[in-house]
Amino acid sequence: MLWKTNDPEIKKILYVQTHGEKDPERTATPFFLATAGAAMDNEVCIYFTMNGPQCLEKGNGDKIVIPRKGGNGKELKYFIDQALDLGVRLLVCQPSLDLHGYTMDDMIEGVEMIGGAAFNDMACDADAVIAF
Amino acid sequence: MTDVIKEDQVLDCSGMLCPMPVVKTFKAMKELQSGQILKMVATDPGAPPDMEAWSRQTGNELLRSMTEGGKFIFYIKKK
Repeated sequence: MLWKTNDPEIKKILYVQTHGEKDPERTATPFFLATAGAAMDNEVCIYFTMNGPQCLEKGNGDKIVIPRKGGNGKELKYFIDQALDLGVRLLVCQPSLDLHGYTMDDMIEGVEMIGGAAFNDMACDADAVIAF
Repeated sequence: MTDVIKEDQVLDCSGMLCPMPVVKTFKAMKELQSGQILKMVATDPGAPPDMEAWSRQTGNELLRSMTEGGKFIFYIKKK
């Protein structure tokens, strides 16, 4: 089992991110909510599939800027670092790596790779699965 | 007249936006001993419902939630 906790008091939340560099305005929220979830003593993972792995490409954290009305956009890296700081685990879908010609070397530090069976196993065992 | 609550630590989250008040509170509470009280001050309008949810989920008791001079003030007791 990929979840680390056996404690029924600790809830398990799995976020799914399917968007990447083409949709910067859709990239920050999963990190943001995962951070809040982790700050509530939950175990939290984000699974990156389809274009999601682009959020985790080395250097993209600085390149993807979340637009905000009136300028002052914020780099995605800020939200990624916040999530990592609170222990949110970042899981990447293996076939989605291939889709973009990535290897694990292209991913930022700390990313773990899982496949479709593992994802479904985690989803069945989670208290909540939230997809973006 | 409400009772005065004596806090052990103060955390000022004024000007911070969601989810930072929750994140900072989470970290500050880790430094406290069981039974100690954190006073948290925030200006984020999302803070009152967020702190209520945070307390319910984490089991740390929200002793008081109030508004004073445009700021939201929370007293939270570590479980």
